[in-house]
Amino acid sequence: MIAVALLMAQAAADPAAVAKGEAIFAQSCSVGYCHGVGGSAGRGPRLRGRGFDRTYLVNVTRDGVPKSAMPGWKDRLSGGEIDSVVSYIMSLASATDAAPANPMPPGVGPAAVNAFKGPAQAGRGHAAFFDAQKQPRCATCHALGGRGIAAGPDLSKAASMTPKQLGAAIQATSSNHTSIVKLKNGESFPALQTGSEGGIVKLYDLTSPPPVLRSVLREEIGSIAKETGWSHGAVSKEYTAAQLADIVSYIYYAGAGTTRPVKAEELK
Amino acid sequence: MKTALPLFFAVAAFAQDVTREDWPQYGGGPSAWRHSALDQIDRSNVRQIVPVWAFQTGKVDGGLQSTPIVVDGVMYLATSWNRVFAIDAVTGKELWHYFYQNPREIGIIYSPVNRGVAVDSGRVFMGTLDNHVVALDRKTGRELWKTNVEDMQQCGCNITGAPLIAKGKVIVGVTGGDSAHRGYITAFDIKTGRQAWRFWTIPAKGEKGNETWLGDSWKYGGGSSWMTGSFDAELNMVYWGVGNPAADFYGESRKGANLYTDSVVALDADTGALKWHHQQIPHDVWDWDSAYECLLVDLPVNGKMRKLLINVNKGGYTFVVDRTNGEFISAWPVAKNINWIAGVNAKGELMGRNEPAIGKPTTICPSIGGGRSWNHAAYSPRTKLFYTTGIEWCQTVTVQKEDPKEGQNFFGGVFQLKMPADGGGHLDAYDPVSGKRIWTYRSKYPLLASQLSTAGDLIFTGDPEGNFFALDAKTGEKLWSFQTGSGHRGSPVTYSVRGRQYVATPSGWGSAVAGIMTQIWPETEDFPPGSTVFTFALPEVTR
Repeated sequence: MIAVALLMAQAAADPAAVAKGEAIFAQSCSVGYCHGVGGSAGRGPRLRGRGFDRTYLVNVTRDGVPKSAMPGWKDRLSGGEIDSVVSYIMSLASATDAAPANPMPPGVGPAAVNAFKGPAQAGRGHAAFFDAQKQPRCATCHALGGRGIAAGPDLSKAASMTPKQLGAAIQATSSNHTSIVKLKNGESFPALQTGSEGGIVKLYDLTSPPPVLRSVLREEIGSIAKETGWSHGAVSKEYTAAQLADIVSYIYYAGAGTTRPVKAEELK
Repeated sequence: MKTALPLFFAVAAFAQDVTREDWPQYGGGPSAWRHSALDQIDRSNVRQIVPVWAFQTGKVDGGLQSTPIVVDGVMYLATSWNRVFAIDAVTGKELWHYFYQNPREIGIIYSPVNRGVAVDSGRVFMGTLDNHVVALDRKTGRELWKTNVEDMQQCGCNITGAPLIAKGKVIVGVTGGDSAHRGYITAFDIKTGRQAWRFWTIPAKGEKGNETWLGDSWKYGGGSSWMTGSFDAELNMVYWGVGNPAADFYGESRKGANLYTDSVVALDADTGALKWHHQQIPHDVWDWDSAYECLLVDLPVNGKMRKLLINVNKGGYTFVVDRTNGEFISAWPVAKNINWIAGVNAKGELMGRNEPAIGKPTTICPSIGGGRSWNHAAYSPRTKLFYTTGIEWCQTVTVQKEDPKEGQNFFGGVFQLKMPADGGGHLDAYDPVSGKRIWTYRSKYPLLASQLSTAGDLIFTGDPEGNFFALDAKTGEKLWSFQTGSGHRGSPVTYSVRGRQYVATPSGWGSAVAGIMTQIWPETEDFPPGSTVFTFALPEVTR
């Protein structure tokens, strides 16, 4: 217990850690409406002139605060960097001024959350999959590697398919996952059924991207037919053949961790 | 005759965009006047109004920033964390509630607030923190459809503003002006939830206006659309204010005018195509949004009747333009402490720009909280005055170089608030075209609640200390005040049911601006949060 307390005191007092933490804080925590310069408060709470428990600060910085604006920083800062930030925040406990007279000039900043590390072709596929300038894009309906909208099937399982099969799934004229839903009011649309609860059926309407999650009363439904009649057409046209090959390579990498170069011809 | 009546009223209601029994839309009507024709409560009897009911929402995080919508005696209230309540507007009794399930981890920097729902065609529409639009059955609160606008984590954006209804579409903007993303305004079909159109607030490579961005900076240039637009049915135009470019303070990597940030855009209501734009602040390096309400009003300018649009920006300047074509008419300030420009010339161009230097603390007035915050103005067709708030406060800005990381904070600097000699807030009545100030009501703290104007010649609003009060619309004299127990950051409304006029106000302190206020008014850190709607009326015996 004493040893732990000593270690904590040591960590809090380490001037190198505090200085490093100040630099990270300046770029990551002071910015915008968050905690203010030197922890002087913003939309986020004031950190200056307040005592915090070190373990609490480490946990909150690492994991964030659920149901709040406070994100977890574990994907953006290393464990050592989080420790340094916490050391800096602990050092603010004795501050009596409202804000530091000479705020730290901000440094390099935290890492990008969605930065891709992996083989070059899969990297190009990742960029195309998540290309925010394209609407729609793959990620409009599919999640992969922990990002994207998981309306469509789980693509991590698609890594077991051959390039030809994947090419067919992306470019073919129909899909075997979808149905045609006909409502009693005459409305009909291609749909992906996601579940039902009580008298309510939840269906993604796939007429045009982005998909619409409809909650339909069971008695409103006339029929749900396993019919072909929907395809990726509109979305796959957003990409070149080379980009589709890159995307397939990314599916292999993200789903199975395999580095597999894919040529456009293989998708045919 | 009977069938002709509704059409007649629709036309009349547009020319005079006033509310009557209902408070049907976020801005009152589509022109965002926030003025009601109800006059049962007036200057002579407002001192007699009493609380009728209070409704507790149970979620105080972020305060209560909502505009309640009232249709056919039912109030539809949205709160922080996307709770929606349908409330009997006479008794305050809950009819149904809908609690949207946001993901456990939101982790983005914009407040968890919601500023209101839209009600149309038997449905209630809301934008969510995780960037969806949902449609609910108005009678039961049952979810009918839900569409994702964009992946929240990828854009670093979400929806806090109320939707706008126009031509069978529900139109939403997004936050994200302080994130590395490219903004947009998106319309969905109110029946099917399918996307009808999207307007990107930053033109793509190859599109006109993209040349106002250096290199690839357009991909991460912000241009959020976080408030609610207006609609002119006759011109078939949707008007929307666009926020600041990102990074907020560091502009070296986005040299150019940065269209259509800090602009008002007019869009074709059917297609979302740009009809015209008016940029107030080319190449903003102060985080001044032009995202607030677009108030539409027809007034004479130099003896000629013009269709005008009034938009107050965060830099503290009001821009008046012709809403048929975006032609500049006039610009005038709502705050005294403004030093980022020396003024605006007769053509609407900024003069004497005072840009903060990189790495060197620079004093800029107003503060990032704005010469006015988002809380909305009101216009009275009776007094022909424009009622809006102003804030006297400054800040030290230190600019830093910053590179964009998709969806993550992208400020390019930090700020620290500073109190000027005459720091505080005020509510003023102006001639909307000339900006001539008719009266001023001063407040110790910035006033962060919207104005409500009524035909009783009253202006209702609230203050951070919890007071909800009524001013004489002609003189600014305080006629009535009631302590609600928590500060005001929302938008009061008025409505009537079975001949009795009610005034309802959100009460509930919170928000980003309330948070940064503590840097110069430390005591406000202890102001109690809350989230309650208070409703007032004349006692039954009096009216």
